Amino acid sequence: MTIRSEPFAAVAALPRRSVSIGAWLDRQGVFSWLMMAVPLLFLAGFVGYPFVYGILLSLQDRPVAKAGHFIGLDNFIKDFHDPIFWRVAVNTFVYTGAATLLKMVGGLGLALAMNQDFRMKNLVRALLLLPFIVPTVLSTVAWLWMLDPAFSVVNRLLIGLGLPRPGPSWLGNPALAMFSIIMINTWRGLPFYGITLLAGLQTVPPELYEAATIDGAGGWQRFRYVTLPLLKPIILIVTLFSVIFTFADFQLVYVLTHGGPQNATQLFATYAFDIAMGAGQLGLGASVALTMLPALALLIVALTLYLRRT
Amino acid sequence: MDTTSRREFLKLAGAGAAVAAIGARPAAAQGKSLTVLHESSFIPPFDEYFKTTLAEAYEKETGVRVVYEVTAVGSAPTRISTITETGTGADIAANGLLQVIQFGDKYLDVTDLCGEIGQKNGGWYDAGREAVVVDGQWKAVPFCNIGQLMNWRTDWFAEVGVEKFPETWEELYEIGKKLKAKDHPFGFELGHGFGDNHGWLYPLLWSYGGHEVEADGKTVVIDSNETARAIDFARKFFRDTMFEDVLGWTDVSNNKAWMAEQISCTNNAESILWFAKKNFPDIAKVTDQAQNPAGPKGRFHLMDAISHSIFSFSPVKEEAVAFMSWLMDPKQLGGWYAVAESYYQPTLHAYDNAPMWQVEPRNIPYRDAMATAHLPGWPAPASRQMAESVAKYVVVDMFAKACAGTSTKEVIKNAEAQLKEIYKSA
Repeated sequence: MTIRSEPFAAVAALPRRSVSIGAWLDRQGVFSWLMMAVPLLFLAGFVGYPFVYGILLSLQDRPVAKAGHFIGLDNFIKDFHDPIFWRVAVNTFVYTGAATLLKMVGGLGLALAMNQDFRMKNLVRALLLLPFIVPTVLSTVAWLWMLDPAFSVVNRLLIGLGLPRPGPSWLGNPALAMFSIIMINTWRGLPFYGITLLAGLQTVPPELYEAATIDGAGGWQRFRYVTLPLLKPIILIVTLFSVIFTFADFQLVYVLTHGGPQNATQLFATYAFDIAMGAGQLGLGASVALTMLPALALLIVALTLYLRRT
Repeated sequence: MDTTSRREFLKLAGAGAAVAAIGARPAAAQGKSLTVLHESSFIPPFDEYFKTTLAEAYEKETGVRVVYEVTAVGSAPTRISTITETGTGADIAANGLLQVIQFGDKYLDVTDLCGEIGQKNGGWYDAGREAVVVDGQWKAVPFCNIGQLMNWRTDWFAEVGVEKFPETWEELYEIGKKLKAKDHPFGFELGHGFGDNHGWLYPLLWSYGGHEVEADGKTVVIDSNETARAIDFARKFFRDTMFEDVLGWTDVSNNKAWMAEQISCTNNAESILWFAKKNFPDIAKVTDQAQNPAGPKGRFHLMDAISHSIFSFSPVKEEAVAFMSWLMDPKQLGGWYAVAESYYQPTLHAYDNAPMWQVEPRNIPYRDAMATAHLPGWPAPASRQMAESVAKYVVVDMFAKACAGTSTKEVIKNAEAQLKEIYKSA
């Protein structure tokens, strides 16, 4: 973090008593640390402490309501011998990869469409945020009904189009269940991408488009050589956030399938919860949750480095 | 660790009994209060009865105020977990199936109190004892079972010539085939719910002679011919009587399907009939209930017990013991059971012929099922390994994968690998 020093230097030059709290506070080193103290304490208390506690838990055999004892990496070894753990790892990567890609492409399309001039533009933009605003649990319950074979509006439509009754089993078939949670996550996360990229699009100076047009660039070329390079930093940042949220997703799966059928939709977060809260094995649950960390940390470091470089 | 010694407990219980016996307001009890934590009941009058009738009567008799704290369905484990980790909160908690094992260390040993209650009330059902005894100590006072039994449509069964629910799984299978052909399939949960999946799959496994572990609670014995036969049966039962969606069902799904008249037979608690009577009387008229069918090795049910525990760190332990002793007296307990009709099936034999069973005779099979009910890890005693196996859906997914097409050999191999890893720590 860099701090502009001119104002402080100017204040320091004023005549004053040499030893006073005011002067001490005005010193750049002290003042900047003071300003940072509150957020640092906040981070240490609400992020640092749970994080360190989580790491300590993962190294213990710690049943709920009982004292824990240190067992080193045994929990992680137990995880690696657990076939479900590997299933969960694959599920989480497939879910995150597919949903993020869909959200990125869809979000970009949405932003480009919303960047056009049309009537009631602002109202439409506001309405687009709805899936993101509605509490996840509520919208997921609505999806639960929409995908239910007996009441499914989706299946009714498909049967109307000629599919045999009762239609696809969206939550009973393992592949379709994964497909369903990816689609619902995309539906929910698309507005976040769309609106953020729209904000980015609006910062692109119109002169660049004019210049490109004069140089003979068509619509695709203007998008490829003007819009995309300028949007890239924003796309990367949104992707970073989206990957973190999607990777650690919990509510959607917990409400819709609870990880079923046969763990086909079980993700790291839901599996860790089942083990920690369902089975009461806090240490083992923490170890499952922590295995998310290396993958996410690598991604964050890689993206940050890339952003710095560009 | 629970630091209350047996001697201390006797003192507490003695004092409690004295308070209850005297019935007057002892000066020490004046102004004291204790909190009882319960998950919100599916039967609203049940919670209401405690708050208005029981709590008020107790305060009048003893001067001790009893606060009935209701927590949302499914949130009790998290709440109890917080209370035990922080050492403050309620004084008495209603446990679900797994909490007695998980939190036993923080619960008062109530062996003597339970002995007394059992003696006065015709004795406990074995299943009641099985649900609360941890390492030889009663860590909770059994309250009831919420049985999982067969719910069936009498009108559709009659269409294929069946007037009485079949005795065996094989007979049920034959009926299911005919009903599916008539567009009245069965619907048994094979997904990741909390109760309706375990409710029929463990009993099915046992009725063919299969088990997770030996009675020693260590030796994994899931890989057996008996388990294989149970799985082979489940596969054809699923294929020929049900539809694919049940693989993804959670606990609400079969209730929805029942009220939508989509299925002709399922496995559920009494709530399905209770709800139908209140909201879909026409469906209720053609709904009946029966014990689980028998397999080659007998008939079994799953014990889904609720019990009350006293936190060992409670500052009002003495009052809590006295209150439990008072609550478990037929005068109080009988009334409380009665308001919920028979949704909560008593674990004491004194209630075998109570008037509550006559309110809805279709619920009587739930009473009879208690004699053959067990915890998921049976014949091993309750253990944290059993809790882990349940939370990881080992048995449920073993059956579900087979139904979805995986070979019997492979699903057993997977389940065995998981169970061996889980029971390694036993």
